[in-house]
This record gives sequence, C-alpha cells and structure tokens, in this order.
Amino acid sequence: MADLGRAALIVTFGLVLWATFAGAWAARLGRRRLADSAANALLAALVSTAVASLVLLAALVRHDFSFTYVADHTSTRLSRAYSVSAFWGGQEGSLLLWLLVLCAYAGAAVLLNRRRAPDVVAWTVPVLGAVASFFAFLLVAVASPFATQTAPAEGAGLNPSLQNPYMLAHPPLLYLGYVGLTVPFAFGMGALLAGRADERWIVATRRWTLVAWTALGVGQLLGAHWAYVEVGWGGFYAWDPVENAALMPWLAATAFLHSVMIQEKRGMLKVWNVLLVLLAFGLSLFGTFLTRSGVVNSIHSFTQSSIGPWFLGFICVVVAGSLALVFARLPLLRAKTRLESLVSREATFLYNNLLLVAFCLTVLWGVAFPMLSEAVRGEPRTLAGPYYNFFLRAFGLPLLLLMGIGPLVAWRRASLGSVGRTFLWPFAVSVAVGVALIAAGAGSSLPGLLAYTFSAFVLASIVLEFVRGTRAAGSFLQLVSRNRRRYGGYVVHAAIVLVAIGIAGSAYGSTREAKLRPGESMRVGGYTLTYRSLGDTRTAGAIERRARVDVYRGGDRVATVFPGKNAYFAEQQTSNEMAIYTSWPRAEDVDVIADQIDPATDVVYFKALVKPLVNFLWIGGAVFLFGSLIALWPDAREQRRLVARYALAHS
Amino acid sequence: MARKRNPARLVIALSVAAVLAIFLLYTSLVAQGTPSLQPSDLPGRTGNVTLGGLVVGRPTGNGHDAPLRFTIRDRKGTATVRVAYRGSVPDLFRAGRDVSVQGKLQNGVFVAERNTLVTKCPSKYTPAKKQQPGY
Repeated sequence: MADLGRAALIVTFGLVLWATFAGAWAARLGRRRLADSAANALLAALVSTAVASLVLLAALVRHDFSFTYVADHTSTRLSRAYSVSAFWGGQEGSLLLWLLVLCAYAGAAVLLNRRRAPDVVAWTVPVLGAVASFFAFLLVAVASPFATQTAPAEGAGLNPSLQNPYMLAHPPLLYLGYVGLTVPFAFGMGALLAGRADERWIVATRRWTLVAWTALGVGQLLGAHWAYVEVGWGGFYAWDPVENAALMPWLAATAFLHSVMIQEKRGMLKVWNVLLVLLAFGLSLFGTFLTRSGVVNSIHSFTQSSIGPWFLGFICVVVAGSLALVFARLPLLRAKTRLESLVSREATFLYNNLLLVAFCLTVLWGVAFPMLSEAVRGEPRTLAGPYYNFFLRAFGLPLLLLMGIGPLVAWRRASLGSVGRTFLWPFAVSVAVGVALIAAGAGSSLPGLLAYTFSAFVLASIVLEFVRGTRAAGSFLQLVSRNRRRYGGYVVHAAIVLVAIGIAGSAYGSTREAKLRPGESMRVGGYTLTYRSLGDTRTAGAIERRARVDVYRGGDRVATVFPGKNAYFAEQQTSNEMAIYTSWPRAEDVDVIADQIDPATDVVYFKALVKPLVNFLWIGGAVFLFGSLIALWPDAREQRRLVARYALAHS
Repeated sequence: MARKRNPARLVIALSVAAVLAIFLLYTSLVAQGTPSLQPSDLPGRTGNVTLGGLVVGRPTGNGHDAPLRFTIRDRKGTATVRVAYRGSVPDLFRAGRDVSVQGKLQNGVFVAERNTLVTKCPSKYTPAKKQQPGY
C-alpha cells in the first residue's frame, strides 16, 4: 500500500513538472496543443494526488502502524473521525493536503477559465505547476508520508487538545484559504507573463480570492473558538506566531479584495494589486513555513524540521522572481486614470488599503522580530501582546471608522456638503450610543468606548445604505439579488463590526482566582460561584474528573457547570476542560477553570472569568460566512455585463 | 507631466508617513521586546527575560500554596537554573518538556512572574523523540 502511495506521488511530481516546463514552452511559442497537454497534466496530477491521499486515509482509518506517520499520530483507541483528522495532524500529511488542495484549485480554475482567457491561462498553468512541483518535491524527497517501519503494537496517539470537533474543520479550512491564494497569484503572474495587464485576471480570479479569503476568515474564527472552549485559558487569540501566520495573508487578501474594485472601476492601482497578490501568497507560504520550520518559538511548538530551509529558499525565489517580473512589465501597468479627489470612494479605499497593509506589516515585523534581533544584536527578543494590541488599536479603530465612511462617499469626486448630509443620521446614532455608553460606565476603557461608538456608526451607515437602495430598487430582495457583490460586502462589514464588538468586550472583563474546598464560594463580576463536589467518570479513552459548581446571580441559581480535567490513557496527557455558562440576556460568558485539583483533599484552585460580549465573535463568524456567500453566489447578469465590457475593451 | 500637481499625492504621502511615524515611535520608545534566553545566557542578567529550555528533575510544589520549583536546562547543553513559579501550571508541564517562563534571576534562582509558564505542545507536528535523546 505504501508503495502505491509513493508511486502516486512520484507520478504527481512528474506531471506537475511537465505542466511547468511544457506549459512554459508552449506559452512562449504559442503551441496550442502542447499548452492543452500541460493543462491536462495538472488535471491528471489531481487524480494521482487523490490516489496518494486515499492511501494515507485508508492507512489511518485501518490503523496500519507499518506507516510511520500513522503510528506517530494515531492509536487504536482513537475514534474514526479523529483518525481521519490525523491526516492534517502531522507535517507530512499537512503537506500532502496542501498539494491535494492546490491541485484541486488549479484543476478547477484552469477548467473554468480555459475558454474565456486562453492566453492568460497558458501562462497560469506553468506558474501553478511550479508551485505544485515544490510541494510534490518535498513529499517525494524530503518528508514522505509513506515511510514504513515494522509495525508497533500501538500508536503514539493524537494530542488530546487536537481531539476536538473543531480540529476536524479548522485546519482544512485554513488550508483552503492558504492554498486558495495561489490561484489569484498564479493568474496575476500569468497575465504579466502573457503581457496582458488588463483586468481579466482579476475578473477571472475574484471568486477564487473570495473563496480563499472566506475560508481563511472562517477558519481563523473556528480556531479562536476552539482556543476559547478547548484550550481552557479563557482567551481566544494570543498573538502567537502561528495564529498571526493565518492573520497576515487574510489582511493582505482583504486589502486586495478592496483595491481590485478600484482597478475594475477606474483602471488604477495595477502595480499595487499585483504586489498585494504577491504579498498575500508570499505570506501564506511564510505562514506554512513558520508553522513547519520551528524557526520561531511558539506555543504551537514544532521541533526543528528538515523542510524549513527548502521553504525559505522557495519563498525567496517566488518573491524575487515575481518582483523582477513586475519590474519588467511596469510599462504595461500604467494607470488609466488618476485620483481626482481626496473625498471620493477611491480615496477611502486607498486609506483602507494603507491601514490594512500597515497592520499586516506590523504583525509581520512582530513575528520576524526574534529572528531579526538575533541577527542584529546576537540575541533573540520577542514582542508580545502589548505590541500587537497597540497596533490593533492604532490601525484597527480607523479601519473600523472607514468601513462606515467608505460606502457613503461617491466615486470620483464627492462634495463635502453631500457627504455631510448623508453622514447626518449615522453620526447622530453614534453620538447617541456614545453618550448612552458613557452613562452606563463604558468610559472605563477609551479604546472600548471608541470601538463601540464607531461600530454604531458603521452599522447605522450600513442600514442607511440598505434603506436608500431598497427605496431606489423597489424591493429589498431585488436590491440584494441585483447587487450581490455590493450588499454581500455590506453584510460582511456588519460581521466585522460584530467581531470588533466581541474583541472590544475583552476590555470590560474581570478575572478571579480562588482556592476552594467543597461548599465554599467565590465572587466574580456580580456572580457567586459555589463549589459543591468532585467526581470521576471513566470513558473509553480517558478519566474525566469534574468539579460541580453552582453559579448564582442576585441570590438565584442560574446554572450548574462542571469544569475539570481529562486524563488520557494512550497519550498519557491531561487536558483542561473549561466550563462556560452563557448568559444571553446579559450577553456575557462566565468561564470556570479548575486550574489544579487535589484528589486527596478535594481542594480545587479555580480561576473564573466574566467575558462580556465574547459571543459576538461567533455570531459575527456566522454573519461573515453568510455575507461572503451572498457575494459569491453566481450572478448571470454580472457575468454578462463583464463579458460585454471586456469584449468592448479588447475589440 | 504638464498636469497641475495633484494634491492627492501629497495627502497620501503624508498618511503613509504618519503611519510609519506611529510605527517607528512606538517600536523605538516602547516595544523593545523581551530577550529570549536559555539558562547558559543568564549569568550577569538583571532585567526581565523570557527563559526557555527543558524541564529536568522532579518538580515540587503546585504553584498555588507552595511555589512550583523546577530546573530548566539548555535545549542543547548542560547549563541549568532553578526556577520558582506561582500561577497556573499547564497540563503538559512535566520533566522533559520544552517550556518557557518570564521573570528575572535573583540570588541564583530564576523568580518567575505569575501565570507566565508556557509549555510547547509536543506532538502536534514532528514527534520530538527522534531529535531529542536524553530523556
């Protein structure tokens, strides 16, 4: 079986090499049939990679410990679902997933665009092939998932904190996001190589970028939710390098999604867009490198592995090659028009891009800081939470405000008077909300107060846009279905506001720690927690030890929660199981953590946190997905409009 | 170009400069970073640092009633330092684990700040067993 997997990967490697070199040759000389052959090789590579993946999947499900990978990441006690999730629980499997997803994206993108833009696709195929070749090479020569050994009786098992339903969805979603950014990159470079600097590559890849961006966003929120409910320290994001690794390409892709609109509408920012798509793709590679190389200390910890230098080399080649290409094609990338006024939709997009990229680069600086300071000063230094939080406020709050301003400002040139009139209502709403919040005592945190005032402003301006649009279009449904992209975008904006509200809620939380014997109580943020008793339950894989804690508010018992710890047999590890009581009417969570349990005396060291508004994050995630789906939904009218426009532009 | 100077450029250049200025001011005045050291780098250090390395020997105390006391050794080396710590102890903490903790050296003992002990999860990616013999 392992031989089949290895053979399939070698076939994949050969196919993607063919796609790269034959594709480049064909595109250069304009050989139509050879170009088709290269494109078909990409499709065939999808099949052979799928075969390799099925081999690994079968081995994982059958617990075939003669596969080193299977023995290292599963055990016979592991349920089937988690055995499947071990596919991406380790390095080799993750790389295989990268390649599989890449081949799937490449195949689909090439198939769908072959007829529409053959000259661009001819050059896109070798770019996609080159990226796939790198991963296929790693899998064949450096980190094979099909290494074999004499089968041990039992495997090492999967890290308990990965044995969680979120781990079934979170990593694949992140991969869909990371890898998906290859498509706009490959089309952008393909267009430059073909000498076609028009907007077709952007039109062809808009939905692909949106899919990747949505997957990355939802994947991150799932990861945050997993950290919140499972890791059990009561937070959801810790600015860990590995978390930042997913945030950075998402920020770059967010900037890209906005700035392409200016290129589509006004023919500006062409160089900028190519650079952004390079930045997004480069950061997704860098993210994979960070998580795989062990170059930066992270709680996600990876021992030094052999693929780090390969990744670094590949990133350098990609960045240097792409920059050289952009430079060579600069004359093609001249803007058709200029920015006419600083009070215009274009200008607000520019500010948005500036802030998004600035924030993205400050995060990158923070992540790279240990390496840079080691190179310069000879000792690694790390930048922690306060650094990132400062820039989240310095750049994030203006971004939030811009989300409310941008949609209300006209394209090209808006008069200050008309801007003032449209802003009247949102401004009044935000002032009212601000005053109410100060009255309610929210002034204790200035960033929090600003975030909520700005949020009110943005939500009011979104509502205003929907109302104005509905009035003009006659019906709400017609309005949205005729402009899915625009109104889907507004829904996403609303989702970002919800997420911002959830994040800003952290500023108003409270935390208490206490050592309790059964019968004793502690108080936290208006709640009283009474520890009643301790009990054990034995399940197939673990002993689950739980403290029974009654939650009181104003004398009434509102809930009973069971924080505790699980002790896993096979993995010989314990994991903290935080208990959460959600009070919907008060829009806050009470998190109870049994930090340390003394089974001899039943004494438990509790940590309790009250987290206001944290659930807005998860609600925001659902709204985000909904809005993205609206914007993604196929729109025949839009397609016809675009086809007509580009036929006109190139006749 | 013969066209009249575009004021937009100036404003955008100024915004870029403003963003850059915020960044440079903050990083140069406030965010200097905390040094990440191993036990062998510690002697002579007086300021706050992040100490990383492997836990060796048998830890005592629970971090709550009595401080958790343990010894950290260089990841590749023999230098060690004793650590006293209070606060939450991660589930994965035990001898042999790669941990990091913040604090400063006082009279030969590394006194850690509350709730700063972090363990690296050992099995997420490459299993550590092949590269790190010795425990």
